[in-house]
Amino acid sequence: MQDTVTTSALLDPSHSSVSTQDKSSTGGHTSSTGPQPSKPSITPVSAKSRNPHPGANFHRMRRIIAEDPEWSLAIVPLLTELCIQHIIKNFQNNPILKQMLPEHQQKVLNHLSPDLPLAVTANLIDNENYWLRCCMQRWPVCHVAHHGGSWKRMFFERHLENLLKHFIPGTTDPAVILDLLPLCRNYVRRVHVDQFLPPVQLPAQLRPGDQSDSGSEGEMEEPTVDHYQLGDLVAGLSHLEELDLVYDVKDCGMNFEWNLFLFTYRDCHSLAAAIKACHTLKIFKLTRSKVDDDKARIIIRSLLDHPVLEELDLSHNLIGDRGARGAAKLLSHSRLRVLNLANNQVRAPGAQSLAHALAHNTNLISLNLRLNCIEDEGGQALAHALQTNKCLTTLHLGGNELSEPTATLLSQVLAINTTLTSINLSCNHIGLDGGKQLLEGMSDNKTLLEFDLRLSDVAQESEYLIGQALHANREAARQRALNPSHFMSTITANGPENSVG
Amino acid sequence: MNPPGSLAGLDPNLDAHLSTQILAPSVHSDNPQERIQARRLRIAARLEARRREALGEYLDGKKESEEDQSKSYKQKEESRLKLAKLLLCGTELVTNIQVAIDIREIHRRVEEEEIKRQRIEKLENEVKTSQDKFDEITSKWEEGKQKRIPQELWEMLNTQQLHCAGLLEDKNKLISELQQELKTKDDQYVKDLKKQSDDICLLLERMEEQVKNVMKTFREELYNIEKAFEVERQELLASNKKKWERALQAHNAKELEYLTNHMKKVEDYEKQLNRQRIWDCEEYNTIKIKLEQDVQILEQQLQQRKAIYQLNQEKLEYNLQVLKKRDEESTVIKSQQKRKINRLHDILNNLRSKYAKQIKQFQEENQSLTLDYKRLVLQFKELQKAMRHFALIDDEKFREIWLMNEEEAKDLIARAFDVDRIIHTHHLGLPWTAPDFWFLKNVGPISQQPQKSATQIVEEMLMHTEEEEAEEAASEPESYLDLPKQISEKTTKKILMLLCDESGFLIESKLLSLLLPLEQNECYLLRLDAIFSALGIESEDDLYKLVNFFLKYRAHRLSSSLQIKSCSQASMEKASMEETSMGSELELAEQTEMEGAKEESLVEGEKEEEEETPPSPWDIHPNDVLKILEAFVMGLKKPRDSRAPPRVQKNMRNNSKDSEYWQALATVIPSSKQNLWDALYTALEKYHIVLTQRAKLLLENSSLEQQNTELQALLQQYLNSKINSELQVPPTQVLRVPTK
Repeated sequence: MQDTVTTSALLDPSHSSVSTQDKSSTGGHTSSTGPQPSKPSITPVSAKSRNPHPGANFHRMRRIIAEDPEWSLAIVPLLTELCIQHIIKNFQNNPILKQMLPEHQQKVLNHLSPDLPLAVTANLIDNENYWLRCCMQRWPVCHVAHHGGSWKRMFFERHLENLLKHFIPGTTDPAVILDLLPLCRNYVRRVHVDQFLPPVQLPAQLRPGDQSDSGSEGEMEEPTVDHYQLGDLVAGLSHLEELDLVYDVKDCGMNFEWNLFLFTYRDCHSLAAAIKACHTLKIFKLTRSKVDDDKARIIIRSLLDHPVLEELDLSHNLIGDRGARGAAKLLSHSRLRVLNLANNQVRAPGAQSLAHALAHNTNLISLNLRLNCIEDEGGQALAHALQTNKCLTTLHLGGNELSEPTATLLSQVLAINTTLTSINLSCNHIGLDGGKQLLEGMSDNKTLLEFDLRLSDVAQESEYLIGQALHANREAARQRALNPSHFMSTITANGPENSVG
Repeated sequence: MNPPGSLAGLDPNLDAHLSTQILAPSVHSDNPQERIQARRLRIAARLEARRREALGEYLDGKKESEEDQSKSYKQKEESRLKLAKLLLCGTELVTNIQVAIDIREIHRRVEEEEIKRQRIEKLENEVKTSQDKFDEITSKWEEGKQKRIPQELWEMLNTQQLHCAGLLEDKNKLISELQQELKTKDDQYVKDLKKQSDDICLLLERMEEQVKNVMKTFREELYNIEKAFEVERQELLASNKKKWERALQAHNAKELEYLTNHMKKVEDYEKQLNRQRIWDCEEYNTIKIKLEQDVQILEQQLQQRKAIYQLNQEKLEYNLQVLKKRDEESTVIKSQQKRKINRLHDILNNLRSKYAKQIKQFQEENQSLTLDYKRLVLQFKELQKAMRHFALIDDEKFREIWLMNEEEAKDLIARAFDVDRIIHTHHLGLPWTAPDFWFLKNVGPISQQPQKSATQIVEEMLMHTEEEEAEEAASEPESYLDLPKQISEKTTKKILMLLCDESGFLIESKLLSLLLPLEQNECYLLRLDAIFSALGIESEDDLYKLVNFFLKYRAHRLSSSLQIKSCSQASMEKASMEETSMGSELELAEQTEMEGAKEESLVEGEKEEEEETPPSPWDIHPNDVLKILEAFVMGLKKPRDSRAPPRVQKNMRNNSKDSEYWQALATVIPSSKQNLWDALYTALEKYHIVLTQRAKLLLENSSLEQQNTELQALLQQYLNSKINSELQVPPTQVLRVPTK
């Protein structure tokens, strides 16, 4: 009706006037006919105000354009747009997100500033895109893969890491961290801190003028060197799985003091208590922190019978035989899968105790004893243990002063063992004969994929042949992985070729 | 940290960062590190080549199986191996630094330990010597306390001071040495730091190098693989295109073929259609014409019908008029008829009265006539009596004459037979058999055997059995034995007995009570009489008909139910056994009859037996008797009605056979025999002549014999004479003596 009226009005005004006149003369007794003559002039206005979706009513829009060619919808922002803008502007004071439609949520999230206080955003926003923007803004290099592929987790983990790194006991307010705790407790799974600052020494340095040197030093040092106590934080993080700590100070420059690098007994005790209380912890790393036997034992004691701990890394410390013995005890009292004691001071007795524990262990798959000094005695003990062990896949014995006897035993192990996939014997004194024996052992092995014999005085020929055997094993393993059903046949098919090679 | 990790990482920044640094190390580079790098890479490549050669066999073995695989697969495999090697070498190259540092560290540690040990030794020595010196000094202090002389004390003090100074100097020296060492260590540390930083730099460089290399090779391999895929795709595309084209061509050809076929078909169909159309048109036209004709005919017929209709209408109207008139007429006639009826009724009444008068008149007439009739009957009876008397007399006369003539004829015949016999036996030497003609035995006038009544026969029969029992003469039997042609007397009897036993209901009860005291035979007789009278059997023929009927029925039943025969025979035997009790007397009678009737001709006996055995009356079941009787009565009714009139002629003499009889008697010797006799006569005449001649010859012969004997006697005489013996050749020798 409206269309006809308008078109007729456009085409033939005289006729329309007649009709309107007719209607007006007769009008009044019906409600529908009454407003019609005046409607063409009203419609643009009503459409402007009423119609948030111009595409929804195509015909009406077309008609309007035909009437008023100068008018354009682009000039007027949509009400939703305005609302969204407003919400974005006032998000800090009035965070509205969940109540909106998904597309609008998206729009809001795309335009939210990354500088909003965490207290607002932390538990409200799950959108990865927002957190990606936050991360990119704060840090130029982001490795989201190290944080489980989650930007939000990455943001909180790195944020917490930064706070911990720059926490100075005594001066910084511990509430800074404790306030963050309820915000990040659900997102942080990994705490990686490679620096713990000691308490500021300035007051201590200023004081000597007032007090006696000897007395003040003896009293002052003990409380001051302690670092941040992780207990509260660890207890607060409900999903913590990895703890990677280095009690170290970076970029100290000319302010170097030995005191800076102390891992005190108090630190040690508190840390031990913290990790004992944390039942979700899977990976614990404490490296480059001058952990000696006693401290190691304290920590290990706290880890005994831990329900979920899988990896323990105590590399680059000062752990000796006693610490190694403790680690051996831990092996038989936990589900430890990875043990790293690289660059410590473990000698033959420690290695023997480890070997004893390893002989009947069914959890450990990786053992790293790089840069220790277990020598042949320890190496032989480990080799003996490997003859009965059916679990270990990776063994690193680089730089351990090993020589031919160990190689002999290891070659026997290689012939028997079917679980080992990687052995590292670099930087030892295996010698030519030892190399040959290892080659013999290798010729019977079908599972070993890596065997490092660099700089261990092995003849190049045997090293090369071992490398070929490893290559064959790798191919076989690949075939097995590709089609598990045919691996038997491939093994038999490859058998003669391997023996030839 | 490690290149694959960084490659695997999704961080675009890092990737971009690395991609900017991709530059292959060259042997001719200015940077010595880079040159080393290049050489190492070269060595690695060579090693790799050697390895690949060594693994050639293995790979060949694999390739053989993969030859059927696509080119892309091969390329992929190759690339994979190459990349794996590259990665391995690269990581080795990178980790080489670590290993080198490790071993350096180990060496350092060993050295350090050695130095430490030396230092500790040295320190310990130093401690010892200094301790000695200190002890010396302290002992000197004791000494000094004892000295009272100041100079000495001073000297001593001086020396002590010197010693102390020496000690201090030693210590200082040691300290300075240690400090020196510390300094050198510091230097060393700094150097180490530098070296380590260098190492780290190298490591980084290598890592970057590795990353670059790996990326480059990855790109290359990717490019190669893509190229291989592209090539394969091209090939596949080409082959598919070819196939497609071929298929398309084939399709086109087929399409063309189809099209031509289709065209042909279309043409064909068109032709057919045209033909059909033409044919249809023709047909249509013919049909149209035919139909039009039909229509015309029908219209004509319609016209005719209409005409007929009008005609009929007129006729019917006319008829209606006629009928109406007729109706009127019929009403008139009706009234007339009614009048007539009244008139006729009057006439009827008159006639009735007349009729009554007439009846009276006729009754009177009748009475008179009956009286007349009675008188006439009496007259007739008298006449009959007289007639019967005369008939008997006539018969007697006739018989006597007949017998006389017959006797004469028979004498003649006997003489003729005698002559014939003599001729046959004596002259012809043939056995003579007396001709057996029926008429020869006939005595008295020929007549139809008088029709006996059924009861008579039965009586005879019964009597006969009694007679036989009494072994009376067998002259009688012939009289009835010739009558039943096929049926024996016995069977008849048995059937009758059966009938008598079964159809007791036909006999009146009074009669039965009367019969009780009577003899069995008589009882039977009377009973049968009653039954026959009831059934309407009067003559002998009827009786035999009945008996025959019984037997036929029996035979019919037997033939119809042959299958039951065996059992029925068995049952018959049983029944016979049972019924022996009933008819034991009869059986006994039969047996005695059999014994007594031996005089009877064998033929007859045989006949009797033959006839008796097959249609045994015992086979007829008593229950069937009634049915048979019913059927018989139904059959008998018709002939009986027409039997009454000929009864009058019953006693009329039948002359037809008389002439025949006498003719037969005359020609008892047939003409052939007479001819024979004639011929015989002539032959005997001839024979008589021959015999007479022979008698003459016999006489001659006897005379000749007499002569011969005489001559013989003479000859004997001569022979017995003596001369004969004197003769040289006696005649006896010449003559064979006929005496022998």
